[in-house]
Amino acid sequence: MTKHEIEITVNGRKRRLTVKPNDLLLNVIREDLVLTGTKYGCGIGECAACTVLMEGKPVLACMILAVAAHGKNITTIEGLADGDKLVPVQQAFIDHGAIQCGFCTPGMVLTSHALLNENPDPSEEEIRDYLRGNYCRCTGYTAIVKAVQSCAKKNQ
Amino acid sequence: MKNFSFVNVENKADALEVLHREKEKSCLVAGATNVMPFIRYEKINDKTLINIRNLQELRFIREEEDKIEIGPLTTIYDLENSEIIEKYAPALREAAQDFADPTTRNSATIGGNIANASPAADTATPLLALNAVVVAESKSGVRKIPIQEFFLGVNKTALQCDELITVIEVPKNAANSNSCFIKLGLRNAMAISVVSVAAGVELAEGKVAHANVALGSVAPTPVRAKTVEAALVGKEFTPGLVEETAKLVTEDISPIDDVRASGEYRKTVAAVLVKRALKKSGKI
Repeated sequence: MTKHEIEITVNGRKRRLTVKPNDLLLNVIREDLVLTGTKYGCGIGECAACTVLMEGKPVLACMILAVAAHGKNITTIEGLADGDKLVPVQQAFIDHGAIQCGFCTPGMVLTSHALLNENPDPSEEEIRDYLRGNYCRCTGYTAIVKAVQSCAKKNQ
Repeated sequence: MKNFSFVNVENKADALEVLHREKEKSCLVAGATNVMPFIRYEKINDKTLINIRNLQELRFIREEEDKIEIGPLTTIYDLENSEIIEKYAPALREAAQDFADPTTRNSATIGGNIANASPAADTATPLLALNAVVVAESKSGVRKIPIQEFFLGVNKTALQCDELITVIEVPKNAANSNSCFIKLGLRNAMAISVVSVAAGVELAEGKVAHANVALGSVAPTPVRAKTVEAALVGKEFTPGLVEETAKLVTEDISPIDDVRASGEYRKTVAAVLVKRALKKSGKI
């Protein structure tokens, strides 16, 4: 298969890569860029453990060919905080103990962060609806929803 | 994963050119949420993937005098958040709200959802009830395909291998503005429907002037419930009438047993969903 040169911006840094047409964006992020915070869960778009932000919107990195991500701006969990300064929802996950095994956490945090950007004052129902594709098999959902809720404007 | 090549196109003219060149080898890909599992399960081999994800000129929702026009690259997220869709095609908006989850809605497009022609495609059922028209273009010209003639079978459509969907038209009328959508899945998120129903009713002096009912996941293609529709038109719209006519839906569907549900169950639940959708659309 012919290889392709791509350029993607990951966490603010431009990266030039050579990829095969069938390389998943997820694998390129994990293996070529060694950003292993993005998790490989189901690989078929059902669990959202591989969520990344593309142009600010949450998408599934297992459902995107790396070659199709050429020119895009991508944020992974490693790029969300500004150095040691966590974004509010990251701190809220810690404060509410919204993490058990941690496998779903990067996807949960990124999706929650995108929700709060889109809707700074979500209700519990809106939070549950927005996070409905993100699987947590420890079932820490209650703590996760509480963490996101604490970031809603009305609770600040 | 098997062998395939990849071409990125940035505008419609280039897309039509590549489709013309690659013909049967063409496989258009936009959001890729259907194509990726196909690649994974090695159903795609020796194809040319034509990436149209960046074809922004085909991402729009426009209001015209007698219809609305939806670009095929419109994402499910766009449908969910459009006032035009909410006003003239609420069934489509409700389908978008039930579609997978927000991460998938940011990638998946309406054009891809119908071109893949899954009998369970969430936007296909409403588009069928809304009497949509698919506009397809190739290097040899433009043609309009009524949605009733668009779906030919599982993953089969009336599109030629060199054609690109350029617009999906939805007529503006009272039945479409009253339309609604109900999906039954095994869970709320990421679910492939067990049965889905879209219905739009127009009443005139208490009687049914128009009734459009479509179902998904109950036949090899999304289907219209013609028996139900015929039994409604001209009658006084009462809960009793809805109750009786909804049962007739078993005449219109041929559901199979699969991993999600049995055919028998689908028949039972289809009648219930048709009843609920009709009541919701006719506001009784």
